[in-house]
Amino acid sequence: MQSHFLHMLLYSTIVSTFLAVLVREDRRERLRLGLTIWLAMVGGAVVLAHLMYPFPR
Amino acid sequence: MPAVEAAAGARTTTFDGRAIALAIGAAWLLPGLGHVVLGRVRRGLLFGGLLLGCYGLGLAHDGRLALRDQRQPFLTTLQVVANLGIGPLDVAARVHVYGRPQYVFPSHFRSASERERSEIFRDRARSGTSIYGTAYVWTAGLMNLLLLFDVWDIGRGKRKV
Repeated sequence: MQSHFLHMLLYSTIVSTFLAVLVREDRRERLRLGLTIWLAMVGGAVVLAHLMYPFPR
Repeated sequence: MPAVEAAAGARTTTFDGRAIALAIGAAWLLPGLGHVVLGRVRRGLLFGGLLLGCYGLGLAHDGRLALRDQRQPFLTTLQVVANLGIGPLDVAARVHVYGRPQYVFPSHFRSASERERSEIFRDRARSGTSIYGTAYVWTAGLMNLLLLFDVWDIGRGKRKV
């Protein structure tokens, strides 16, 4: 798989699932933390990419 | 022999030092096995599947199996530690990729096989997918190191059952 974006989604899913299960015991809290981490990783990368877009070099 | 304690509605189980050491060793040998040894089977299977999947993805994408390089000893040593976090699987992967458990970048090529191994390392690094694979491989190792601390906490009764 060569798509940078798909790798980012997959990597974020793995890491957020791992951290949520590691840190939280309750199922609902796990889901909330996992989604928060996932959105922070994916959303943060997309926002940062758009902010950097006018400055390619 | 585990001791079960109940306090304020939260049940915890503590294990003796030998059982904790055995569980930590098992956790390093195979991701998730430490949790299974301490009776946290579902948690262990989930972590095991997640980490092995992540590591497999990394190897399938030419993830870098780091070699300690004398020119950058600190950073490359940290990379090797991240690799070794996944346990003996790292040794098996190196035997598969390099033909032997290679951990040091050969600074002086004393033989053709050393030159060949350094070329294998460089070829994988030049691969178009290596940056993704390296992230998966190193992250899997680091996550397993975190799991060793989780096993330690479970063994000492720091986590609710």
